[in-house]
Amino acid sequence: MISYCIETENLSYKFSESEPVLNNINLQVPQGSIYGFLGPNGAGKTTTLRLLLGLLKKQEGTIKIFCKEFQANRIEVLKNIGSLIESPSIYAHLTAIENLEVLQKIYRCPKSRIQEVLDIVGLSKTGNKKAGQFSLGMKQRLSIAVAILHNPELLILDEPTNGLDPNGIIEMRELLKKLNAGNKTTIIISSHLLAEIEKLVSHIGVINKGKILFQGTLDELRWKQMHNSVIYFDSNDIDKTKEIVLANGIIPLSSNGQLALPLIEKEIIAKLNKQLVEHGVEVYQISTSQKDLESIFIDFINT
Amino acid sequence: MQFIYSFQSEWLKKKRNLASWLVIIGGFFTPAILLIYSLVYHSKLAEASVAPNFWYRLWENSWESMAIFLLPMGVILSTSLITQIEFRNNTWKQLHTLPQNLTTIFFSKLSVIIVMMLQFFLLFNIGVYLAGVVPCLLVKDASYPKAPIPFFIFLRDNMFYFIDCLPIIALQYLISLQFKNFLVPIGCGIALWILSVAVFRWQYGYLIPYTYCGFHFLENIGKLKLSVPIHVLAFGWFVLFTIISYILYITKKEKG
Repeated sequence: MISYCIETENLSYKFSESEPVLNNINLQVPQGSIYGFLGPNGAGKTTTLRLLLGLLKKQEGTIKIFCKEFQANRIEVLKNIGSLIESPSIYAHLTAIENLEVLQKIYRCPKSRIQEVLDIVGLSKTGNKKAGQFSLGMKQRLSIAVAILHNPELLILDEPTNGLDPNGIIEMRELLKKLNAGNKTTIIISSHLLAEIEKLVSHIGVINKGKILFQGTLDELRWKQMHNSVIYFDSNDIDKTKEIVLANGIIPLSSNGQLALPLIEKEIIAKLNKQLVEHGVEVYQISTSQKDLESIFIDFINT
Repeated sequence: MQFIYSFQSEWLKKKRNLASWLVIIGGFFTPAILLIYSLVYHSKLAEASVAPNFWYRLWENSWESMAIFLLPMGVILSTSLITQIEFRNNTWKQLHTLPQNLTTIFFSKLSVIIVMMLQFFLLFNIGVYLAGVVPCLLVKDASYPKAPIPFFIFLRDNMFYFIDCLPIIALQYLISLQFKNFLVPIGCGIALWILSVAVFRWQYGYLIPYTYCGFHFLENIGKLKLSVPIHVLAFGWFVLFTIISYILYITKKEKG
């Protein structure tokens, strides 16, 4: 049985009497996974993450983190969570070390850990420079240092690559992979770009208009991608081609110049081709069109 | 124990903050003016230094502008600046996801402000002492003040002024926690301070929680006779504002 680090049941939320921002969200984040929480802007990602952290008061549903009800075990649960919600949360008038000292006092972790995390995020040489003078990338890295200071079991990151340059995004990705592989840290990371986190995550949840549209492993999404593939038959006689295809029990998807078929096994493709040739149809081209993950994601949010 | 850690954490945050500077500058400002005055008018110092009420007069002069203007304004600014640290840095969300009670956060922040006030009183007292001693040591004809320092009066006054500024701290804290815009607590604070000055002669002026420092000073110099225990009232307002502030804080729907 899969053990879930985060599990929500029918989580719903509305800011006012208007339409709910979240509607029966059943999030399941497996232990040790990197869970990509995808959705366009305004889909409900940040609201979900803020509810998970107790920054918003829960209205309906249940939230379990580390198999414990969040509200009843708030402090115990938060001891093992590191977070970064939207823009960096750092004290601009303090240095990187001082920022971490502020949290070290609360987490009661060893002081040596401050230097360790600064080394990890590459900010160990910032000296007396105040965090307010950091570039956005540096601020984001300091926020990551803040989030991992106490070696949490779970990291909740809301669009952590916002404002980072391509190099910064790669660095962040490698850092998170390292944390997940080395410390078995479960990571939930939200983004509105699939391409950005595709290379990082093991699991994906797609949310739009406050509803979860897909949840599963990246392989399951890839299987869906395969399933959505189309095979095109380009021939000199489209009607005859369609007739032969139908005779084989295959229903074409469309016949707009070329005959589009759903994904079929390669042996059947060969059989169809043979039959077409035998019936005097000239086959110019048989091609496969695969939908990439991004277009599947777009399909999800457009349905 | 968690409270102590939380307090230490909050104490670190005020480093390099304007509120910290205000405490130091505010503590030494009036004594420094008096010190300069004594040096400029040094001819009067020889006579003054042997007067039996030397320390008491210095103490009274030091509190003149402090009690009515500088102390309330300093409290308004410092309290607002301390809570503004979280708003300005967008760190409420970070603070509220730390493993500590909301009650601990609320009271550790308030404690930092109160301890800063104590720090101010300490520096002010040191300043007053230096303002009395330094000119006497520098001016040739003057000698070290003959009169003994009235420790009890100083201590009692310190305590009363401290209690009298507690309602200002609590109300400013309440407002500052509710509004992101720094101008709201500052604006409310200044408006209430102006109101407090305007009602000094009104018989029910003691109902305004920002008046007590001024009332205490006026009572001390014999210009006002109060029929109500203003220090008890001040403490009452402080408790009331703190309770309201606490309830509003913990019941806030959005915590960052």
